[in-house]
Amino acid sequence: MSRRTRPAGAGASAGASRRGLAWIAALGLVAALAAGLVVAGSPRRPADAQSAPAVTVQRAHAGSATPTLKRRIVLLTIGSDAGAPKFGRGGSVEGGRADALQLVVLDTVKRRGAVLSFPRDSYVPIPGHGTNKINAAMAFGGPRLLVATFERLTGLPIDYYALTSFDGLTDIVTKVGGVQVNVDMNLRDTFAGAFLDKGRQKLNGRQALAYARARKTLPGGDFDRSRHQGQVLLGGLGTFQRQVAQDPAKVMTWLAIMRDEVKTDLPFPELLRLALLATKVPASGIRNVPVPSVAGSAGGASVVHLQPGAYALFARLRAGKLS
Amino acid sequence: MAAPSNSGLRLTGSAGAALAVLLTAVLLVAGCTSGDRPEPSGPAGGPASTAAPPAEPLRVQLVTTAKSPPDGLTAKRAAQRAAPGLERFLDGYLTAAFVEAAGGETGWDGLLGLFDKPVKASARKQLDALSLGAAASKVSAVRPHRASAKAVVLYGDRRPAAATVRLAFDATADTAQGSGQVHLRSVLQLLATGEGWRIAAFDSRTGPPK
Repeated sequence: MSRRTRPAGAGASAGASRRGLAWIAALGLVAALAAGLVVAGSPRRPADAQSAPAVTVQRAHAGSATPTLKRRIVLLTIGSDAGAPKFGRGGSVEGGRADALQLVVLDTVKRRGAVLSFPRDSYVPIPGHGTNKINAAMAFGGPRLLVATFERLTGLPIDYYALTSFDGLTDIVTKVGGVQVNVDMNLRDTFAGAFLDKGRQKLNGRQALAYARARKTLPGGDFDRSRHQGQVLLGGLGTFQRQVAQDPAKVMTWLAIMRDEVKTDLPFPELLRLALLATKVPASGIRNVPVPSVAGSAGGASVVHLQPGAYALFARLRAGKLS
Repeated sequence: MAAPSNSGLRLTGSAGAALAVLLTAVLLVAGCTSGDRPEPSGPAGGPASTAAPPAEPLRVQLVTTAKSPPDGLTAKRAAQRAAPGLERFLDGYLTAAFVEAAGGETGWDGLLGLFDKPVKASARKQLDALSLGAAASKVSAVRPHRASAKAVVLYGDRRPAAATVRLAFDATADTAQGSGQVHLRSVLQLLATGEGWRIAAFDSRTGPPK
């Protein structure tokens, strides 16, 4: 007998059997659906947590901290006039003349400080080289001699120096996306390429360099220029703080740029700590102070003589007074 | 009386049963998958829910990018090279701050040893924002659920020199009164030292998520 051939009564029996199977399957499916929905709708939890009441383990707490260095930091920032492009690619930035000179004095405990801007033509004693324009010290003996010159002049121990070039400043400002500076006069200086209107604005790399270099058309000449250099420096600090507040990882971006564009004797751990500290130093707590001085001449050359007020300023800083 | 029409079921025989079993399996699997989904956090400031996902071994899921990779290394390769050390550090941090802190018997020296000296005193005063803190003594166990981090690593002298890390950690903490959730959201600025990574600055919060 073929398996396909069934007795007359067998067909009815087989149909009943199929219907039974279908009902069993349907019931199974419904049960499975119910079970599945229960499982899907119930959060899985550890057995020991199922019977535990809800508790608040810890209330909200917030905190932050940057390094506490507990000392005064004195940093000499130097802008070299070396036309050489980048470090390691020809030219010697250390061998150039120091045309931008700022002494940054930072009270790390009170988180305030001062940027002392020195005219590059300041006529001062240079150890081992008589008296000359201060910007010649670096050409004579590199950053070390320039630091020694400043230490003798001010009586302040200088912890570190940071040196960059025209190209370096341009690149730094370009890479960070510009710096906010309150330009304090209308500038039309073809020599420096500075064409800026008075007012707060974001300067690109080329504009920042021009603003820091312009001298010949300024009413105060070298005095105005050194003040502008301090403004660019503080503008950079403000830009850094704003960017890091929005994205803390920008600290790494800025440090990477500094590593490429700045030569310094700051050990990296100290550089990082200072950068982190700088995020919490209000820009309003740092004063831009042009060192009191007056134009004069020496040996037929135009120079700048520091005035008694400059030495009084150094004495106050030595005594720990920043105001 | 006509039987209820259910063409799907009418089609079933042994094949239908198999289909049902298959559907059952699919539904069960779907149910299991649903249970594994991360759960939304409870309302800020309210009591933590006990409906926590199951505890998992502590392992930080880290995404790393690199700045200024050394010559010969791509940024991707430099990030990969820095990742294991950072993961170990962050595992160690969360273990000391939460898992081993439960019970309050181990103290905080281990955790504070992970901070750079100029920030250590500040960290000691702000343990509640960095760890279980004062709650540690009432917690018997911490069961981690999620530990994730994003790091930007700065290279110097061919090795990682500093990093910024955004760290997120969620866990269930058991107490005598029941269980509740603990959370940490931190930005850590790290310095590479001869003894490993150290926290040079932080911005951190614990407790119910915002």
